[in-house]
Amino acid sequence: MGELLNRDAIINLVIFALLVAVALGAHLAGDGFTVTLATKAAIFGLAGVGLNLALGYGGLISFGHAAFFGIGGYVTGILASHASSGMPVVTLPFTIMGSNEMLGIWPVAMLAGGVAALAIGALSLRTSGVYFIMVTLAFAQMLYYFAISWSRYGGEDGLSFYVRNTFPGLNTFAPIQYFAICAVLLALALVFTAVVTQSRFGLALQAARQNSQRAVAVGIRPYAIRLTAFVLSGMIVGLAGSLYADLNRFVSPTMLSWHMSGEIMVFVILGGVGRLCGPVAGAAIYILLEHVLGGISDYWQALLGLLLLGIVLFAPGGLIGIVTRRGRHA
Amino acid sequence: MPEPKLNEPILEIRGLRKAFGALVATDDVSLDLRPGEIHALIGPNGAGKSTLIKQIVGEIRPNSGSIRFEGQVIDGLDAAARARLGLARSFQVSSVIPDFTVLQNVMLAVAGASGAVFRFHRPALSDRKLTEPALFHIEQAGLADRHLVQAAKLSHGERRKLEIAMALALRPRAFLLDEPMAGMGLEGGRQLTSILSELRNEAPILLVEHDMDAVFALADRISVLVYGRIIATGSVAEIRANPEVRRSYLGEDA
Repeated sequence: MGELLNRDAIINLVIFALLVAVALGAHLAGDGFTVTLATKAAIFGLAGVGLNLALGYGGLISFGHAAFFGIGGYVTGILASHASSGMPVVTLPFTIMGSNEMLGIWPVAMLAGGVAALAIGALSLRTSGVYFIMVTLAFAQMLYYFAISWSRYGGEDGLSFYVRNTFPGLNTFAPIQYFAICAVLLALALVFTAVVTQSRFGLALQAARQNSQRAVAVGIRPYAIRLTAFVLSGMIVGLAGSLYADLNRFVSPTMLSWHMSGEIMVFVILGGVGRLCGPVAGAAIYILLEHVLGGISDYWQALLGLLLLGIVLFAPGGLIGIVTRRGRHA
Repeated sequence: MPEPKLNEPILEIRGLRKAFGALVATDDVSLDLRPGEIHALIGPNGAGKSTLIKQIVGEIRPNSGSIRFEGQVIDGLDAAARARLGLARSFQVSSVIPDFTVLQNVMLAVAGASGAVFRFHRPALSDRKLTEPALFHIEQAGLADRHLVQAAKLSHGERRKLEIAMALALRPRAFLLDEPMAGMGLEGGRQLTSILSELRNEAPILLVEHDMDAVFALADRISVLVYGRIIATGSVAEIRANPEVRRSYLGEDA
């Protein structure tokens, strides 16, 4: 087992290094567009890493993670737009001003994602199986329709902010510097996931996924364990949403729609459910396909569908599973 | 935790009743488990043995009646809390974490029993507070050298032993073993019988079992459950001689 773990670690490093190499190479070649694509892959990968904690390790098939992605995005858009207008976000019970500093925005985005995950998780984790999928979907759709009708922040048209938020010492407008920010956060999330999944908590989470009755019989409460994982997952996805908003300098209800939930799920499944770097590989492949095949045909998603079908049927361990020739992580 | 007085029952079940609609699965059952004993619970299929076990561990709630464990009323506690008090259970169908190794399975039980599972930082596999007790219980259960094997790859008998190692990791005050002999074969059954007779030194055992040879070899007392009711409780000899038991369960040739 130790040998295989090392092999997994090598594959994880290779995937991450490839992403960085593509961005650096494109930067040196003066290809800013590809750097931005790599940034998008890093951000989507981060969202996938967040979902993987709940879905891959916890077995919680959430079809509503767009909620946290969109909340992170809207937090960022709202704070940024208020920073540029100079108007406070709220004045009661106390005054909250906007912000255009990433270091201030990220914690708020993560907190908002976490609080939403706590509320949604507390209710939906009382169900399981297909009901859990449907309840998480329903919550995310509620937020989606709320955002559509929230005219104060652009409603259906979304909310633009014209200047990317700032990070001390960096020019966030330079594509490679913004990529660096996203890649570092992705790396931190990967390390966090690796540590948490190998801890006592990770042991309990994975046990509850595989055999919840057994976990109870040794004194573990699966509900509390799963809710904690769900909240951590929502926080990471909230951060990804914040980065995505800054990448586009635009947020819209699309970030909250069920398509987005599905896409995040696709990253995880393509790369390998419950694999540390699976979502990163999945997101990178997704964006590659979108870019390459999307240039050939508007129907590229049909091909994506075939690929997904092939993976689910013949390689449930995802792309990483194909490389390691193993079904799934313990 | 109050230390129970000598011979005061560890587990005391009084007037337990559970009905599913018109079907009374547990009908005014009273039963106790005394320190050091193996108390076998026998009865035909559908007698309500598993339903009774599920009520004791807290998986389903009785309609009425009460359960005391080491002098404490545990009716309000959920299954996880009862496990942490040392009520260790094995399942009718082996129940382990299939993708975990033997070691990880038992470590899980050690962590669960400690109540400290919300630790996010330290790698569990290098936490000696988990690994050392886990390895000790693995050896106790007769699985030494198999600790790095994935649970899914164990033989049926080994999985039974793993369940026992997990039960031991709970620092049990009582064992509830639901048909541990099921599907064990002759040699495996003999091995398990000797493991069980050692287990009673750790804590008393409430043993649900169909294998009459094992029951007669191990049990100090036997209770017979028929249609949700206990029709007799007594020593092996008393139960063998009891005409009602012979008629309703053992068959005339026993």
